[in-house]
Amino acid sequence: MGRAIAEYYAQNGFTVLGCGRGESTLELPNYRHSRLDVGDEAQVQSWVNEIKQEFGKIDILICNAGSVQSALLMSVTPSEVLNTFLRTHVVGSFFVCREVSKLMLKNKYGRILTVSSLGVPMHLEGTAAYSASKSAVVEMTKILAKELASTGITCNVLSPALFKSEATLAFGSDWAESLIAKQTIKRYVTVEEICNVISFLISPLSGPITGQVINMGFVN
Amino acid sequence: MNEIESVGLIEESLRKLESEKMIDGKLNFSESLPLLGPGTQLDSLGFISFLTDLEERISLKTDEETYIVLNNIENFDINQSKLTVLQLAQHIVKLTNAS
Repeated sequence: MGRAIAEYYAQNGFTVLGCGRGESTLELPNYRHSRLDVGDEAQVQSWVNEIKQEFGKIDILICNAGSVQSALLMSVTPSEVLNTFLRTHVVGSFFVCREVSKLMLKNKYGRILTVSSLGVPMHLEGTAAYSASKSAVVEMTKILAKELASTGITCNVLSPALFKSEATLAFGSDWAESLIAKQTIKRYVTVEEICNVISFLISPLSGPITGQVINMGFVN
Repeated sequence: MNEIESVGLIEESLRKLESEKMIDGKLNFSESLPLLGPGTQLDSLGFISFLTDLEERISLKTDEETYIVLNNIENFDINQSKLTVLQLAQHIVKLTNAS
């Protein structure tokens, strides 16, 4: 999903600075990719510092760091799976939001958007580790929203419905169908629909909207 | 960097915040000025802005990426947050001379 969002905004005139553990598969003039592990504090600090040196500011952060692994009931979820989710979602989002928000504070403006999951409000079986870590991202974002409320920086959470991606397709059609059956709007969402919500939240006119969670395709 | 240079950079950062009205009242700069804890003239966001600005000044001066981690400051107790200009200056001396 991160790739699709990056592609959408790079094609719509934004300068997009993305990062990931692997090489980029996106080649667009407005897109630049950095390889890094968001769970590594020093790597995140260096990355944000490089952006600061070159661009001087970051207007928008879409913190979509995500890891998807096969769903397992909690009773048999190995500690490695739990640790991977915590490192990527909680620790990674924490470091990225912390460093970027400091840069935004200098400019007294910013839009921070973190990405959660419908697994959280659905209390989806097989996602104890995944949803617990995504739930932590929601809580962290709400607290950051309050801390930065007076600064022109907003922080919101997007919780998209099922999106067709390599990661979700890897789980197979049975899994996808059962998840879609639990959604209120029973279909995949498109990148255009996801970006429509993002564009609303990152708009300069959305200054009074902070600490909110937008669930797509699901009535909580 | 030595202690005098460090204190100088801290004062520059604080004066900048003062000029941006991010400091409560007139800045009474001294080495014993509390930056964090009872008696500080900085609110939480002011303190973050101060640290960010200071990191940038140190990086410019030393030509090295510098990050101030509160836990690494000698005698700083995160549970009894209290930090003076002198404590921070001494930490900067250690930090910059170690790199």
